Amino acid sequence: MLRLIHNELLKIIGRWRSYIGFIGIAILMPLILWGFSYGGGEIHDEYIKQFGDSFIVVGSIFNAFLATYIMMNAFWIHIPFLVALAAGDAVAAEGAAGTFRIILTRSTSRLKILFAKLFATWIYTAFLILFLAFMSLGIGTLWLGSGDLVVFDKGILILDQSEAWIRMALSFGLAILVMCVVATLCFMFSSMVNNGIGPIVGSIFLVAVGYLIMAIPIEMFEKMEPYIFVTYFDVWQQAFKDPIPWDRIGKSLVILSLYTAGFVGVSVVVFLRRDIKS
Amino acid sequence: MILKTKNLTKSFGSRKAVNNLSFEIPEESIFGFLGPNGSGKSTTIRMMTDLIRPDVGEVFIQGKSVQRNHQKALVNVGSFIERADFYKHLSAKTNLELLARMDGKGFDNIPVVLERVGLSDRANDKVKHYSHGMRQRLGIAQALLAKPKLLILDEPTNGLDPQGMKKIRNLVRELNNEGITIFISSHLLDEVQKICSHVAIIHLGQLIISGKMDELLSESELFTTELRVNPLEKAKSILESQDWIHKCDERHGSLFVNVSPDKIPEITILLIQNECMVEAIIPKTSLEDLYLSKTELGKSQN
Repeated sequence: MLRLIHNELLKIIGRWRSYIGFIGIAILMPLILWGFSYGGGEIHDEYIKQFGDSFIVVGSIFNAFLATYIMMNAFWIHIPFLVALAAGDAVAAEGAAGTFRIILTRSTSRLKILFAKLFATWIYTAFLILFLAFMSLGIGTLWLGSGDLVVFDKGILILDQSEAWIRMALSFGLAILVMCVVATLCFMFSSMVNNGIGPIVGSIFLVAVGYLIMAIPIEMFEKMEPYIFVTYFDVWQQAFKDPIPWDRIGKSLVILSLYTAGFVGVSVVVFLRRDIKS
Repeated sequence: MILKTKNLTKSFGSRKAVNNLSFEIPEESIFGFLGPNGSGKSTTIRMMTDLIRPDVGEVFIQGKSVQRNHQKALVNVGSFIERADFYKHLSAKTNLELLARMDGKGFDNIPVVLERVGLSDRANDKVKHYSHGMRQRLGIAQALLAKPKLLILDEPTNGLDPQGMKKIRNLVRELNNEGITIFISSHLLDEVQKICSHVAIIHLGQLIISGKMDELLSESELFTTELRVNPLEKAKSILESQDWIHKCDERHGSLFVNVSPDKIPEITILLIQNECMVEAIIPKTSLEDLYLSKTELGKSQN
């Protein structure tokens, strides 16, 4: 299986679409960090004006942790698109290129090939999120420095630097798991067609529909929310609550895992029964 | 028998592409698989290699079902299906490494197969820079990678120039001499006749004929023989009066008669006795005639 995963990673590395997410993050993050460093002083002064009487803040509250937290909130809707760019090609690209004829006629089962592709897609997704973490936290620390993390969530939560690192690690870990669900959804669509664009559009459409249902305050939609996987996409934010709501995190992960298993199951059934005619 | 198909049937929507197809490929043979466009050849080959699932029936390779035991059935099979498509952004060598990794047999055979198809000096070039002929040869190289006992080649000479075709033909003969069974599908009947020991013809998804090439060519009563005789009209009327001659047509100053090959001496005697001068008798017992007669027959029967 490791040999097959190695192959799939080589294929991902060879596709230009795989780099769009990394290039986008590599360009956007320094720009945003530069923006924060430029206008961060004003935000810091505003915070001090509002909360200075109640808290003693050591150093700048506008540091790499807060910048990362703000960026994750802002970009959370867009990251699925970057993940889908690679996941959409995982299976479909072989159909489009005609290479199924050389790989599926070998003495390796379709199931193994499919799972190797899935694992490689998850590895890619994890690397993308880790790269985001590196660019925001790593570069951010060099640029803006570190310090305490001030989070506004039903009040103010101040996490000291060492705790902030742990919470960030937990948050990015959960973010990887959430994005693996998006990757698996896109992978499922990819296993059905011979064109990488369809799965990307299909996945983003479903995620967008999920966000719309969550955003519109209609009773019917509110009833649907617990059954929509997008509802649990904000699980990474639970890492910044005090105390950490492990039960809520656990429930979210169980539901997301069930969705993932469902997407994988559909992929397996479709791919094993699929006729390769092109 | 190295491969056996049993009652293979496959439909796409309401169209039956392959209908109850059964044939066997003897070990160490070169087996030609013929049929007009849309006859079900590609569907059959794809069912043989597990790219397409049959609705009914099975394919057995060395006694193992391709449909139920893909891994074991295809372990000694190399295939080149339709077109040589590769990961174009990778070199030929890297492409073969990817496939060798799948086979789990190491990279030792890569230089050997590249040498065999004459691509050693271009092994590190990206496939996107390869010509059509080079890709076809690389297609055969990947099929040979796992040291197969059965090689399935679907239109391997498609788009090749005469030199390229000859190279492939010679390679097929060499491989067969080494004990590899070759299954070859081609539209080039002359090519197939030159190299194949066995042949099967399918039409409209059904097997029309199958067997040893020599036997099929000598047994059929539907072959055409060209007669260059003088006077033409007199010879024609003599031959047409014989009930053992199936058909006699005049074309381009010759007579074309449908007759069993063993009746040709009788034709000669008959014409000479009737004071006709026989300039030439050219038996046209080619695979093309067999193919055309059988597929035309298939058409009329359907």
